[in-house]
Amino acid sequence: MTSLQKNPAMRRYYSRFVSTMSAYLVLLLFVTWYFHRYHPHGLFAYILAVLPSIPGLGFMVAVGLYLAEEIDEFQRNLMIQALLWALGGVLVFASVWGSLETYVHIRHIQYSYAFFVFWICYGISIPFLQRKYR
Amino acid sequence: MKNRLRVLRAEREWSQADLAERLEVSRQSVNAIETGKYDPSLPLAFRIARLFESSIEAIFTDEV
Repeated sequence: MTSLQKNPAMRRYYSRFVSTMSAYLVLLLFVTWYFHRYHPHGLFAYILAVLPSIPGLGFMVAVGLYLAEEIDEFQRNLMIQALLWALGGVLVFASVWGSLETYVHIRHIQYSYAFFVFWICYGISIPFLQRKYR
Repeated sequence: MKNRLRVLRAEREWSQADLAERLEVSRQSVNAIETGKYDPSLPLAFRIARLFESSIEAIFTDEV
């Protein structure tokens, strides 16, 4: 997980991460543009709408492969800790935002934001974990 | 869990990076084990013991 240790498993993880991130951005931009321009409907619209979430699954696959391929148990442990912090962050965010929506009627946000919150929390947790085990 | 890794490493004049290379783990892993922030699994503890030609109990103690 660390930028510190560039072992083969980590290099493959970064490569997969960048590939899926690129695919995600391209699909997101394409689908947004297509919906604005052509207003698709029916089954095609449903298929098109879920397209950007496929690379999201790719992220999970990249993480799963890293955990399977990493031979350094401590690095694996760090990744798992970062993922748990990210998961906790999403749950706390969803809980707080949900309560605010229910009781003080703040703006509703799309569920797909959970994806961003997860990776933001993951990114924030890494320097803290690195600092802890420096 | 306390351990004698730092002493054993010093006796051989190995840096953390040297030990990490021999164990095929990251230097950060060696540091975390050495400072007691991370307890290695049994297979890694055996690898460490074999490398230092010692027993696990001679390297690791269950004192906190």
